Amino acid sequence: MLGKLLKYDFRSMGKQFAFVWPAVLVLALVNRFTFGGLFREGGADIGLPGQLATGLTFLVYWAVILATMVLTLVFIIQRFFKGLLGDEGYLMHTLPVKTWQLIVSKLICGMTACIISVLVALLSVLIIIPVPTADLLDFWPELFRALGSQGVNGFLAPLELLLLILVSLVQCCLHLYLAMAIGHLFGKNRIVMSVVAFLAINFVVSFLFSSAFFSFVSLLGEQVTELVYDRMEMSVWGVWHSAVGLMILGSAAAAAVYFFFTERILRRRLNLE
Amino acid sequence: MSEYLVTCIGLTKRYGQKEALSKISLQLAPGRIIGLLGPNGSGKTTLIKLLCGLLQPTEGSITVDNNPVGPHSKAVISYLPDKMYYADWMRVSDLFDLFADFYADFDRERAENMCLSLGISPSDRIKTMSKGTKEKVQLVLVMARRAKLYLLDEPIAGVDPAAREFIMNTILTNYDEKASVLISTHLISDVEPVLDEAIFLREGQVVLHDSADALREREGKSLDALFRDVFRAQIYGGGTL
Repeated sequence: MLGKLLKYDFRSMGKQFAFVWPAVLVLALVNRFTFGGLFREGGADIGLPGQLATGLTFLVYWAVILATMVLTLVFIIQRFFKGLLGDEGYLMHTLPVKTWQLIVSKLICGMTACIISVLVALLSVLIIIPVPTADLLDFWPELFRALGSQGVNGFLAPLELLLLILVSLVQCCLHLYLAMAIGHLFGKNRIVMSVVAFLAINFVVSFLFSSAFFSFVSLLGEQVTELVYDRMEMSVWGVWHSAVGLMILGSAAAAAVYFFFTERILRRRLNLE
Repeated sequence: MSEYLVTCIGLTKRYGQKEALSKISLQLAPGRIIGLLGPNGSGKTTLIKLLCGLLQPTEGSITVDNNPVGPHSKAVISYLPDKMYYADWMRVSDLFDLFADFYADFDRERAENMCLSLGISPSDRIKTMSKGTKEKVQLVLVMARRAKLYLLDEPIAGVDPAAREFIMNTILTNYDEKASVLISTHLISDVEPVLDEAIFLREGQVVLHDSADALREREGKSLDALFRDVFRAQIYGGGTL
């Protein structure tokens, strides 16, 4: 059933971004000849009309990039708010599926939209300022070698970073979902209450994370300090590995708590009026 | 295994301090057309939403087809809400795809034929349709299912008499005779001829529940006249049942 839900959520995503993603790439292509042209030999000598055209196309490009990012955020919020807590919820919550499947489908679709938007933006930069393919292919082994010489596992480090970004993205989406689910528990001013819930969750989680960190440090006192220094002396990689690992665990724990309460509210306290 | 399709025991729903439904106990048998009758605010929509899982009861329990409200009960209930639930981007064919994907009992051919008779093309965009056409598409989707329980929330409210007749015909000619249909309305005269059973709701409580024939015989008047008597008494603060 999750696959079927995803099918419709992805179709909805396709409709939403059908114009904006290709528009970014087309504008990047235009800017390759205008803005990118400035970096070529003799390219700066384009006269006032050329400068104006270059400035204008570059401005439009950035406006569309900004619109894509705003649209992605709006999409993540709206697919949950309208799709599960608004009128569309009358259809979604009467389908023979489990509540967690509804949430996971929105989450996967929202994250996919976010990842594609970022990839489209990165690709557009590569289109505007072309990097020779050979340089791009050489870059990664070089990076791994450089990291390896510092004692960092050049293969695992980028992977850990990627995992941290993904887990943080899941946490952010679920943070928004939980805030909307809490807001929907109120009879009136649901949007305002969702914003208040978002800020409150943010405050509580920041407080808990910082308290946990300081309690941990003060509890173990010098032992921790010695441990940290020892590890730093041992390897930079060890410190990186521990820090990123802890951040991934913290983010995943927060995401799990957000998901648990969102699912519980929608399953037990759903109130579509 | 209960012989009843729907069983509600001690069902209560509160919105804050306000009690929308108060300790309702009901049993609905299969193969019946049941009128859920009451004035605005009597709890009809709340009861229907509780049955299809859009609201959660404050107290009490519900079973549909011997299961609590959940994926199984949702698979056997065909629900017509009192509002539009479409996503803007959809065409009629997208909705047919969706219903065919999620409901094993959805008869696509029947839905297409019903649309054809209404002059609606599967490629029509929902966004460009009039409110009346959107309502008809929603009715087609609901009635093209071979469900065990149809929950129709005010299907004839706010439409002209011709559309009302069309809606009643669609319901009568398309529901499975082994299934039950629960129609909520305050327009009694339009549904009275087809009702097997009637439930009168007043201020969140069931004040009458019996077969339509038994009610007419016992009270010596039509359901429409009985409804007027019962709820006139409420409005003017007097009268007994």
